[in-house]
Amino acid sequence: MYWGGNPAECHPRHFTKYTIMQKSKFLPRGRKDRTMVLVDIRETKSVKAADIFLQVKPGKDFELITILRALIKDQEVRDDHIAETGLTRATLEDLVKRMKAARFGCIFFGMGLSMTRGKHMNSAALLTLAAEMNAFTKFVAMPMRGHGNVTGADVIMRWQTGYPFGITFNRGYPRYNPGEFSTVDVLVRGDCDAAFIIGADPGGTMPQPAIDHLRRIPTIVLDPHITHTSKLARVHITTAPQGIAAPGTAYRMDEIPLPLKPPLKSPYPTDEEVVRRINEAIARKPFWLPDGNQPHMLTSQV
Amino acid sequence: MTRETSADSRVILRLKRSPTVPLEAEVITPDVLGSLSNSEIRSLTVYHGKRRLPLGDFFDVEGEHSCDLELHGNMEKVRWVGRAMSQGSVTVHGSIGMHLGAYMSGGRIEVHGNASDWVGAEMKNGFIHIRGDAGGQVGAAYRGSLAGMRNGIIIIDGSAGLEVGMRMRRGTIILGGPARDFAGLQMKGGTIVLLAGAEIRTGAWMNRGTIISLKPLTLMPTFAFAAEFTPAVIPLIARHVAKFGVQLPSAASEGHYRMFSGDLAVPGKGEIFVWQPVA
Amino acid sequence: MLRIINGKVYDPANGVDGEVKDVCIDDHGRIVESIEGGRTIDAGGMIVFPGGVDVHTHVAGGAINFARAMTPEDHRRTQAFIRTKTRRSGLGGMAPTTFATGYLYAGMGWTTVNEAAVPVLSARHTHEELSDIPIVDKSTLTLIANNEILLDQLEAGAFERAKDVLAWYIWAAKSYGVKAVNPGGVAAWKWGSDAKQLTSPIEGYARLTPGVIITQLARICEQLGLPHPLHLHCNNLGAPGNISTTLDTLKHLEGSRAHIAHSQYHAYGGSGWDSIRSETTQLADYFNTHANITTDAGAVLFGDTVTITADGPWQHLLYKLTGRKWGNLDVENETGCGIVPYTYRPSNLVNAVQWASGLELLLLIRSPWQVFLSTDHPNGGCFWRYPEIIKLLMRADFRQECLKRLPDKIKKHITLPEIDREYSLYEIATAMSAGPARALGLTQKGSLGIGCDADIVIYEEDDDVQRMFGHPRYVIKQGEIVIEDGDIRETPEGREFLFKPSYSPDTEEFIRPLFEDCYTMSFENYPVELSRIERADVIEGVTP
Repeated sequence: MYWGGNPAECHPRHFTKYTIMQKSKFLPRGRKDRTMVLVDIRETKSVKAADIFLQVKPGKDFELITILRALIKDQEVRDDHIAETGLTRATLEDLVKRMKAARFGCIFFGMGLSMTRGKHMNSAALLTLAAEMNAFTKFVAMPMRGHGNVTGADVIMRWQTGYPFGITFNRGYPRYNPGEFSTVDVLVRGDCDAAFIIGADPGGTMPQPAIDHLRRIPTIVLDPHITHTSKLARVHITTAPQGIAAPGTAYRMDEIPLPLKPPLKSPYPTDEEVVRRINEAIARKPFWLPDGNQPHMLTSQV
Repeated sequence: MTRETSADSRVILRLKRSPTVPLEAEVITPDVLGSLSNSEIRSLTVYHGKRRLPLGDFFDVEGEHSCDLELHGNMEKVRWVGRAMSQGSVTVHGSIGMHLGAYMSGGRIEVHGNASDWVGAEMKNGFIHIRGDAGGQVGAAYRGSLAGMRNGIIIIDGSAGLEVGMRMRRGTIILGGPARDFAGLQMKGGTIVLLAGAEIRTGAWMNRGTIISLKPLTLMPTFAFAAEFTPAVIPLIARHVAKFGVQLPSAASEGHYRMFSGDLAVPGKGEIFVWQPVA
Repeated sequence: MLRIINGKVYDPANGVDGEVKDVCIDDHGRIVESIEGGRTIDAGGMIVFPGGVDVHTHVAGGAINFARAMTPEDHRRTQAFIRTKTRRSGLGGMAPTTFATGYLYAGMGWTTVNEAAVPVLSARHTHEELSDIPIVDKSTLTLIANNEILLDQLEAGAFERAKDVLAWYIWAAKSYGVKAVNPGGVAAWKWGSDAKQLTSPIEGYARLTPGVIITQLARICEQLGLPHPLHLHCNNLGAPGNISTTLDTLKHLEGSRAHIAHSQYHAYGGSGWDSIRSETTQLADYFNTHANITTDAGAVLFGDTVTITADGPWQHLLYKLTGRKWGNLDVENETGCGIVPYTYRPSNLVNAVQWASGLELLLLIRSPWQVFLSTDHPNGGCFWRYPEIIKLLMRADFRQECLKRLPDKIKKHITLPEIDREYSLYEIATAMSAGPARALGLTQKGSLGIGCDADIVIYEEDDDVQRMFGHPRYVIKQGEIVIEDGDIRETPEGREFLFKPSYSPDTEEFIRPLFEDCYTMSFENYPVELSRIERADVIEGVTP
């Protein structure tokens, strides 16, 4: 099941390499041995690949998932509640039957779910649906991430700080609070007085107040290309493109690390080299906290 | 700890320099300031971004040795005021930033202005009154925590944002204005009174606890309509909130409450009462 | 160069039991007979141990990293390491961050850790994390007992081929040894089921049973000459009455060397959660008569933790029992993993039995060369709580005191109250260092013999042994003082031990089509490049 994503256009290798096309020991006929369900608010190019398409009314994902969770447990659901999601009881009962009959169900959810009204609670609801399905058969769920290697950033932040994103280091140790420290919120509120941007183009994707703030403060961009952000930045350092002219590791959406083997050489430095040199330059400056001014370890955090 | 305080004195902090980035000032609590002299207060450390600076750089300080604090100014970027306070009072004239009164266990906070997100988050006890609007996550649990506010009272005269009372276990939240989505999300106990209703998904995933709304609500499909009556608990709650100047109708001549139970998705035994005035 | 004088030395690997003698360290960080010049530490009134070795822990890789994401509430309340000019910031707690992991292990005198569960497919990730764990030396075990390509060989009875395939996998993962988790059970979990009977065919297979996997893997590990024998997490973990499965497993291992991981979780009698009881006496008897098998306790300490295991079906059960958060990872055709935060409570009968069983095994198995200190971090408790276990082992009266906190009905379920054995310092040094180092085949570790790595911990003698072991006076890693008086002085990078077994040269071409048939990445990207391992220390296997 794909929910709120459009892999045909956004993750073009997902069908062929990962989910529905591959032949395998237990599914020797590949696509024919699988059922694919797509849930989205509009008909996208992915519909062609689906066996079943469920068009949910915009903003009704949380309700629809809630109804599915009730139906798998044979709880009663009122007709008017089902109708509000844009779907029919027959459709949903058929879906529940198929889900329970599956030997191994996978749900992939995209930003059409996780970034629309309800946000993290939409994701939580879908993850709970998958968890509860394990009372009947094997079921898993996984997010479809947006940009290349956003998973890699997430994975490394977790092992170094304990948190995936929305982190501040201002007290000398990592603290976490999405909504308070997440990039878009920090920019919209104007909570930062400088920005260092690597591997992203917020100038093209973020709300206008965030972009305005980036324009106001010294913004430094590392990017191989000219982007919306590089155009508004005070400094743009051109770097070698990852995977094409710079080596490294990228984490797939399922957190499997892949080595990047660049086929080309670039006259530009890699992101890593630029960051390393900036770090070295900073290390030559006096440390921002006077030594001995801070305990080395806190037993009670703020 | 011996404390030298005099009942009629107070410590007055006036913001003299606007922070350009968030100012983390968890030291501004009666517990920390109460026993300090004026110069000791001015030399307390606050964090302006990553810089450690004396509180006196941002505030003019009047008075000393008092557990009653008064704050003046546009303090939208000043965070953590009243963190973990257990006594005394904080009165804010102006707006205040995030985490006001988070983890507090006693005392009073009053804001004549607006507050931001996480007002009274994970508070254990005490009293918070916001005369203006509040942000999201009022009285809520921080991300990942199992429980939000454990007791105490939060009154917001104006509106509030998302996830009001998320995972609260006990205590009371009263909203004069409307709440946004997910009021009472994953509630485990306590009471939320919505005098002006809420947007959608009120009470989603609630386990226990009570939500009372004087305006119609859009409820999740997993709430069951239970009864149309005014149960004995309503006059009790009405008496409780009357102490704070909030009137809950409960006379049969005025109308009745429609009671819903849920959220079956959890499954939970929470109760939502929606006021139905006599037509 | 460094000379430690006047200390009471406990060096079980060389039979030294509290003798006052000097220890000399050369410029290469090795222990030598004598040196000229250099710094001298006067360890008068102190005791000198070889640095601790953790035979079974989970500190790096996809699973623990998933656990970190799942427990922000713990990170917020735990100790925080503040960044300094020379040290990275981090957080301790149930699932510490990488830098903090190194500081915390070194901070209590442990200098070598064995990460006990690495899927080949995400081994690259594990190694990246390990290189962010400072100070300690590291080794890893590859998860193999549910790898479908290997199981297919065992199903077909192609033993020699299976041996080559396994050897290739160890080197592909740049690993040190082999870990088998719930053999067949994790593969069955892909179908939503489990493998609880050693003699029943595994779901998806016609003939292959968990018993066959266990016997064959143990043989393969021996024939490949692995420094550490098969490291086995038995089937039926955590279930009441699972002692029969465990004893049956041991029979399947008869004659081979093996290490049984966290045996506390595999030593229960009874038929349900109400009747669960400790059967450690039976299990200890087996160890006491079979010197070829080693184990680690997997002891449980009361409090909050997060459970992480490749045992997917067990974690689903635990999720249903607790109703708390649950993470599940399936690693394609190789293995899986489940994560559930958990609180062990003294008032809970099952938890109380688990707490007692871990200590019972440590006390009933006579030779500390056979049973090692572990909590299966973070499953039974966090590694930084080891000093608590040491106190429980060394002080019988403290144990009796702790027993009073348990429910009264516990008496019929455990044997701990009847045990009065107390560990000596010499036995502690064996169970925390010399023993695990020997079981891992790390000859330069866990010993203060000439030529060994100068990984040394020095404690100020103290009647409060928990305080003593929790706060070493000095910790020396490869000749360098890394901890002094509770302060982190230096944060050198540790090495990683790898084992390169020999295998038939056609193995790669044999695996390639099987891999391409079912995996989602290209074969060339699958093995971890040796150049990616920072400070690799490769031990070459000899052709059998």
